[in-house]
Amino acid sequence: MPSAASTTVRILIGGLALLVAVGYKNYRDLGAPGKRPDLDNNEYWGPQLKGQYQEIKAIKPFDISVSPELIADLKAQLERPLKVQEPLEGIGFEYGINSNELKKVVKYWRDSYLPNWNEREQFLKKFQHFQTEIQGLKIHFIHAKPTNVEGKKVLPLLLMHGWPGTVREFYDFIPLLTTGSDKSEYVFEVIAPSLPGYGWSQGASRPGMGVAQVSVILRNLMLRLGFDKFVIQGGDWGSTIGSSIASLFPENTLGYHSNMCGNNSPLGSLRLILSSIIPSFYIDSQYSEYYKGVGHLFVTIMEEFGYAHIQATKPDTIGAALAHNPVGLAAYILEKFSTWTNPAYKNLKDGGLTKHFTYEQLLDNIMIYYVTNSITTSMRLYSESLSKEQFSLNLENLPIKAPAGCARFAHEIFHAPDSVLANKYPNLIHSTHYPDGGHFPAFQVPQKLYEDFVSFVQKAFN
Amino acid sequence: MKCLVIFGLIVAILASIAGYGYLLFTDLTRPLPRPEFKDDTYWGPGDGKNYKPDTKIYDFVVDVPQAEIDDLRQQLNRTLKLTEPLDGIAFEYGFNTNALAQFVEYWREKYLTKWDERQNYLNSLKQYKTEIQGLKIHYIHERVSEEVAAKKNVYPLLLLHGWPGSVREFYDFIPMLVKDQNITDNAFEVVAPSLVGYGWSDAATRVGFNAAEMATVMRNLMLRLGHKKFFIQGGDWGSIIGSNLATLYPDNVLGYHSNMCIMNTPLSILKGIYTHYYPDKVLKSRMFHDHHVGIWEQYQELLVESGYFHIQATKPDTIGAALSSSPVALAAYILEKFQTCTSPSLKQDFGAMVTIFGLEAVLDNLMIYYLNNAATTAARFYAENTSKTYRDLQLERVQTDVPMGCCRFRFDLPAASEWQLKDKFTNIKHSMYFQHGSHFAAMEMPSMLYNDFTTFVQKVGLQTE
Repeated sequence: MPSAASTTVRILIGGLALLVAVGYKNYRDLGAPGKRPDLDNNEYWGPQLKGQYQEIKAIKPFDISVSPELIADLKAQLERPLKVQEPLEGIGFEYGINSNELKKVVKYWRDSYLPNWNEREQFLKKFQHFQTEIQGLKIHFIHAKPTNVEGKKVLPLLLMHGWPGTVREFYDFIPLLTTGSDKSEYVFEVIAPSLPGYGWSQGASRPGMGVAQVSVILRNLMLRLGFDKFVIQGGDWGSTIGSSIASLFPENTLGYHSNMCGNNSPLGSLRLILSSIIPSFYIDSQYSEYYKGVGHLFVTIMEEFGYAHIQATKPDTIGAALAHNPVGLAAYILEKFSTWTNPAYKNLKDGGLTKHFTYEQLLDNIMIYYVTNSITTSMRLYSESLSKEQFSLNLENLPIKAPAGCARFAHEIFHAPDSVLANKYPNLIHSTHYPDGGHFPAFQVPQKLYEDFVSFVQKAFN
Repeated sequence: MKCLVIFGLIVAILASIAGYGYLLFTDLTRPLPRPEFKDDTYWGPGDGKNYKPDTKIYDFVVDVPQAEIDDLRQQLNRTLKLTEPLDGIAFEYGFNTNALAQFVEYWREKYLTKWDERQNYLNSLKQYKTEIQGLKIHYIHERVSEEVAAKKNVYPLLLLHGWPGSVREFYDFIPMLVKDQNITDNAFEVVAPSLVGYGWSDAATRVGFNAAEMATVMRNLMLRLGHKKFFIQGGDWGSIIGSNLATLYPDNVLGYHSNMCIMNTPLSILKGIYTHYYPDKVLKSRMFHDHHVGIWEQYQELLVESGYFHIQATKPDTIGAALSSSPVALAAYILEKFQTCTSPSLKQDFGAMVTIFGLEAVLDNLMIYYLNNAATTAARFYAENTSKTYRDLQLERVQTDVPMGCCRFRFDLPAASEWQLKDKFTNIKHSMYFQHGSHFAAMEMPSMLYNDFTTFVQKVGLQTE
């Protein structure tokens, strides 16, 4: 018998054992499908107070300027001799980031990017930045108003990034949304927050702030800004949080668009397994290469989710390791911009990093993590969201009533077909496929994402 | 008549399924023959075409330039920008950053200021380097004195560390092994190498240096030192490497003792589940139940603690780069394991490491990783051992009749029962359960490990042959 069979059985037995171990406690108390969990819309997340919490509702312009001392210290750190190991012979990015490429990035960061920092800072300031306090946390956001409303309809849009992204991913996307085009009768007033715990938004001071709780905060942000009803767009955690907002607050949701649609409800998971066994029942053969099945999902989880595993279990350890460690932070984050843009780039010595992004773009994004020192709090979103408490809310079983749209970019980590999404997105009106692009479409192919998004909006409101 | 035919058909189909299932089962669980293994692969840099083996043995002392210590102190003096732990949280989310800040200060102000003392201590055991298969291997080599040799049977012993350990784990254990002790007729000539890619040993520069290759290099090291037959003792990777050595080169092994005897074959996993439900049928004593019952909790615990394993097995160069660029990063990551591997009642306690190990020992060990910049090459070992090449060797299913001894410390990774071990180890001489102790046994309770190891050696009964 070939060893592949024994390996498969071993993996299946091990995986089954693990699944049962985690699942039996968590899923034993699965509530009735579809019941909206009780969430405190005013839950306080800030530092412990002596007295009563007085929320400061003022919305203040926010200065993202970085102190020169921080830049000088960063430069000094980057000037230190690098202590990385040579890659193994013939290896590209198969073992993680290739240290030769990392050396190139560090050199560029030190010799080209940082001397030009004032220009980069000015660039980051090209949108209006604000901060306001929600439930004890200072929340940062970009507020971009539409520039050309002549003959156009304006819709408010909540635009959310993920990990290891930031608002920087949207710098080419936002102008398309606010300027408008002949492709759409809609333009958008864009609110792009830093997620709580990311960028210039404060992280929670106590355990419990998972996706559901973050969605309460960001929905409250929109209400604070006077938007009772809004459209949502997001990828990565932005997609998950957006899905949570749409599920919990249908009264506020005009529409939900995601470039990473998923359905983790038991029914969705079951259908996903079935779609691997009988693909013809579940998948349009025209798009079969987008839907690689549970086997591929399992391999992907094994090979690519080590970061999620450690972040979900020991965020403070890995956070402490990367905090104020610019080379380490760059290594850790850049690896994702390579592999998640296209998994095939693992075979490339430079990881294909500059095939679609400039070092400027990549470093701008890393700088936001670095100057705000937010890596630890960003990672805690994993531990807080992949917890017993979060699973027990049973959010996956709460369907999204609003019109929903799913854009699928070919090289994304994983796709689920419409048939699998059905019970979560009963109002799925828009489903598209793109042969290029990956996990970061707003960053990589903003024009395509824009056209897809406005196409969805057209369907949703006409 | 029709009924009979249908009945016959059903029986035939069921029998075929049962038969096929049985064949499949036995095929996945039967022992496999020992694979052929090349024991002279060149692992040095390049293709080795012009490789001229150097079989000399060189003295080695730890001698760190003062400039490196000063630079480390400077790095540890950077203003820390750690995030406060969440309210009410100690070490549940990983290493507590307040504890880390205190540790960094101790490292900088107390430990490094007496570095010369520490260095002398590290040099208190004799060390050497020699080149095996293109790789320079560092090792401690402690011989017994003439007086001890006169009174005791002396056996060579290969002592193997793991991750995130080093030879430092053995500094209390080795002196016991070379001494003349009342409780045993045996003493040991100890060879304790730094693993390839760890400590002061070279690292491989090509893909493929897995635990079978490591076992080969270590066996060749012993042959180089004139030891054709030797005992092996190890925990963590050391246990797995020792197991591979006993499997691939049984003629060289007098006995193999492990303080982390795990088994992960399909059959073993099934046996483990059965043991969870019917411990009385499998285990000799009620005292052993705690080690094996509660398998689902054990798996959950494993899931919570194995993030490091997952990332090292898949992206070792990423995590390696992160840990190499900051001593604080290295400290947080490695200390987390020393904090956790104390006991369930201590692992949220801020004094745990001081109580169980002492800060000097933990820092000595950390320095070995830092000074040799070994984080990346150490992590790569995980990737090599989860690769298809290594898994295809299926060494866990190859039997060995080398005398085997297993001791199970209470809070270490879940260890296999004799029932599980005997599928591979056909000559188990010694099997022990401890109600205390954790993963770093040689550091935490060297006397208990020493007692257990020498008991095992006694039972191997070499002198009666």
